[in-house]
Amino acid sequence: MAKKSASPLQMVFSVTVVCAVSAAGLAGTYALTKDRIVAQEQQAQNEALGSVLPEAESFELREDLADAATEAAGETPVMGVYEALDGSGALVGWGVRTAPRGYGGPIQMVVGLDRDGLVTGVKVISMNETPGLGTQIVDLPWFLEQFVGVDSQNAAEEVRELDAITGATKSSRGARHGVEAACAVHAGVLEGEGAGQ
Amino acid sequence: MKKWTEVFLDGISLENPLTVLLIGLCSALAVSSKFEGSFFMGIAVIFVTLMSNVIISAIRNFIPHEVRIPIFIVVIASFVTIVDLTMKAFLPDVYGFLGVWIPLIVVNCMVLGRAEAFAYHNGVWLSIADALGMGVGYTVVIVLLAATRELIGSGKLEFLGATLIAFPEWYRGPNIVLLFPGAFILFGFIIAGTYAINRRLRARAATAAVRTERGASL
Repeated sequence: MAKKSASPLQMVFSVTVVCAVSAAGLAGTYALTKDRIVAQEQQAQNEALGSVLPEAESFELREDLADAATEAAGETPVMGVYEALDGSGALVGWGVRTAPRGYGGPIQMVVGLDRDGLVTGVKVISMNETPGLGTQIVDLPWFLEQFVGVDSQNAAEEVRELDAITGATKSSRGARHGVEAACAVHAGVLEGEGAGQ
Repeated sequence: MKKWTEVFLDGISLENPLTVLLIGLCSALAVSSKFEGSFFMGIAVIFVTLMSNVIISAIRNFIPHEVRIPIFIVVIASFVTIVDLTMKAFLPDVYGFLGVWIPLIVVNCMVLGRAEAFAYHNGVWLSIADALGMGVGYTVVIVLLAATRELIGSGKLEFLGATLIAFPEWYRGPNIVLLFPGAFILFGFIIAGTYAINRRLRARAATAAVRTERGASL
């Protein structure tokens, strides 16, 4: 059994030792799993980008646009803006990664836009929505497909015309906010970028 | 050796953390809407409880009484982070579903409770039995709850992409089962069930004890 009372020095010493050993163990695990975690995330994101912009061969993160994009999107967080390039390196569109708030936390999604600012596709990477209810935004294919063709110049109005899913109001709204944010980024930031090319 | 199996079985039945001790409920009710996720949540909890019980019982003589809780938490948090990183690396889909509930195992009072109530006062060997019993007890209940909820609520049971059982197409499950109220109601039934089983177990143990007493006096 543990000693009934320990001196302050003993307490500090034992906590320090335990923390140091833990830190070493964690550093080791981190080093072992780091590459795989990055690779998994990269792969999930590339697959999502590829599915919303099938013409593109490669995607490039435009870090220089991050601040402007965040500002344009308003409350919805924008994690990244990607240039979609075809085989010859010409710009075919944009991928915007956003994380609007759903019912069970952020919905990680990418929205593809062509050069004219029309939505080419929406794909959810990960989410924590209620199975059977909120997850219908992915399970029912018509829901995300109805965003295809929305014009970013006029997104707020066009999106309002679309249907939400019964029983998944908040999740539907989350997806809608994600598309609206991506459109706002295109209208506010990418429009000018695309014209320059 | 009998003691070991006794401690192990107590965790599953007479002292089941979820249905008898009623600890660690928050994560159990939240995660149990999906069978697959619950299964891996159970594995994660078993691993963390086992490792923290082993480490804490092994170093229990060197832990000053006054700072034992911070030390428990550091040990538990380390193993939770290890699970967190490993799952993110190798089971990204499952991790996507469990999300924040994996890091939250740190504050699952079942893990800390076992460290404080059992591992701190017992040897490594018995602490292993306790951790496994408690972990398996947690897993059995959460998996049972999740299988029921997913099957009734969405009409099919999936595991790693394969459909295990599916109701006919026309089946429309009551959505409430997938939401928190449904979890509470079903969990109530599970508690009632465990209570009935445990009462029988106790009665049988009591008659067995009486019989051996009689046998001894004859």
